[in-house]
Amino acid sequence: MAHKMRSLLTTLGVIFGVAAVIAMLSIGEGAKRDALEQIRLLGTNNIRINAVKLTGDKAREAESKYSDGLSYKDGLLIRSNVPSVRAVTPIRFVDAPVMKGNKESAARVIGTDHLYTEVTNFSVDDGRFITPLDISEAKRVCVIGSKVKRELFGFRSPIGHRIRIGEEWFRVVGVMETKRLREGKASIIKIRDINRDIYIPITTALKRFRDEEKPFFVNEIAVQVKSAELVEPTARIIRRLLKRTHREVQDYEIIIPAELLAQSRRTQRVFNIVMGSIAAISLLVGGIGIMNIMLASVTERTKEIGIRRALGATEQDILGQFLNETVLISATGGIIGIVLGVVMAKVINIFAGWETVIALYSVLVSFGISAMVGIIFGIYPARKAAQMDPIAALRFE
Amino acid sequence: MLIEAIDLHRIYRMGENEVHALRGVSFSIERGEFVSIIGPSGSGKSTLMHIMGCLDRPTSGSYILDGTPIEGLDDKRLSRLRNRKVGFVFQSFNLIQQLNVVENVEVPLVYMEMDRHERRERALQMLEAVGLGHRSQHKPNELSGGENQRVAIARALVTDPDLILADEPTGNLDTKTGQEIMELLKRLHEQGKTLIMVTHDLEKAKWSSRFIHMKDGKILHDFRDTDGADIVGMFYESTAEQEAQ
Repeated sequence: MAHKMRSLLTTLGVIFGVAAVIAMLSIGEGAKRDALEQIRLLGTNNIRINAVKLTGDKAREAESKYSDGLSYKDGLLIRSNVPSVRAVTPIRFVDAPVMKGNKESAARVIGTDHLYTEVTNFSVDDGRFITPLDISEAKRVCVIGSKVKRELFGFRSPIGHRIRIGEEWFRVVGVMETKRLREGKASIIKIRDINRDIYIPITTALKRFRDEEKPFFVNEIAVQVKSAELVEPTARIIRRLLKRTHREVQDYEIIIPAELLAQSRRTQRVFNIVMGSIAAISLLVGGIGIMNIMLASVTERTKEIGIRRALGATEQDILGQFLNETVLISATGGIIGIVLGVVMAKVINIFAGWETVIALYSVLVSFGISAMVGIIFGIYPARKAAQMDPIAALRFE
Repeated sequence: MLIEAIDLHRIYRMGENEVHALRGVSFSIERGEFVSIIGPSGSGKSTLMHIMGCLDRPTSGSYILDGTPIEGLDDKRLSRLRNRKVGFVFQSFNLIQQLNVVENVEVPLVYMEMDRHERRERALQMLEAVGLGHRSQHKPNELSGGENQRVAIARALVTDPDLILADEPTGNLDTKTGQEIMELLKRLHEQGKTLIMVTHDLEKAKWSSRFIHMKDGKILHDFRDTDGADIVGMFYESTAEQEAQ
């Protein structure tokens, strides 16, 4: 151990290799949890249909085919024609300022119906949600998200009070529960902060905030399917249905969270292969470095080997001694690498905003790998030491 | 009989050439003898010592140490035999520089698989016996040549071997220190240890009770019971005799 600095430099390859493995696995684990959570938010049994804004030639084609985009009627059509569907709810964004007295809230106004809570698995905390009666009579009532409530009402109960949306006055009938959201920036699906939403009846939204060109336009339709296995076939049916009603104009897209999950896993795999290769190359280089230094060490310590053999060490003893040293060096590198990897994961989390999770198995795997590198690259130098002629080794100066 | 050597040959292959280091050496040594092996360099005395110490094997002939013939022993058994039965003392001390004095003395016990505490205790006892108990924590390079050789002797004795093999034990020491080391070896002999010393220094050979003169891989003469006899005279006689033939 007279060469601590040299040993440390030698292990750099292993240190970086292991750190890369740790960081890679932590990003993978974080992304997996992130994706799972977001997909849970969208609902695994759900299908989303988003409106797509067409431009240029495609917009003109849409006009010539009389397709006026995703509409409330599409939702009704799906509900009445696809038996595997449990519930359908429309989502229409209303672009209007939300005021209470002089206070303005950065809320997003959404026109939807009574099934929204069921489809999105999101429920009311105080008061009630939109009812079928609100829909059929296009009442001016609203249900506000927890953050909107805090902004506009503080700790007072908002039920029964009025807020202004655009030019209209709405009565608050309920407050939504608070949904915890991760602050992941690199999310695979963009999710708005639903705690800032304000819900009004879809009919009110269509009537009071009327878009003259597309009076029944909705931004999204959320579809809940009866069971997970039916998601795939249901999506196929919906696709066919919409193709016909939209006269083959692609002014909508169908998103299946479960499929997105699979896709994100594929992306993840590519990322893993790239990072894994980097780690493998680093470990290979690190291993060769260690082997190199151990070969030098064996030559340097030829005399010692001779002495030990003369005093009764077997070939096996010498082999064990050098193998132990190599494993010690690379495992030490492994531990330093694990620490560095954890730090790297934290840094990535802070600066890139990616969710990173250090799982116990990744630490164990990394440590195992570093010890393996020690064994694999230590065998050759250790054998060389063990097979030295003891007499020649004793004479070595 | 502790050692029995019958017609030992040792041939080294150096590329195309063959070097005959030993050409038919036979002798036997009893327990408690103090034997000097003397001869010029290239006479085969070092090769003989390596074979006696179980570090090397004869190309032909048989070597029996304390009743165990070494031919056919694998590395593990041969190493164990070396560990238990033989203690080496070298000209250049051959201590491991990274280890301190007591750790050096412990090395043979490590390969005996003795436990840590017993090992330390035995090693300290041995150092005490050679008068270096107070130096146990020093590194070899902090000690004088004479002290280094005492440590090496303690290391050779720590396993309580049947045979001490000393290869020019005073070769790297000044006359006075050499004298002290010889006195230490003599004392071991008096305590009943079997000693074999390889040397080319006739003055040192005088300390022994038997004297084997080697040349060109053969034993030229084997003088027994040399106590008080004129070894130098006998050596020259034997050399002259050889040259006359």
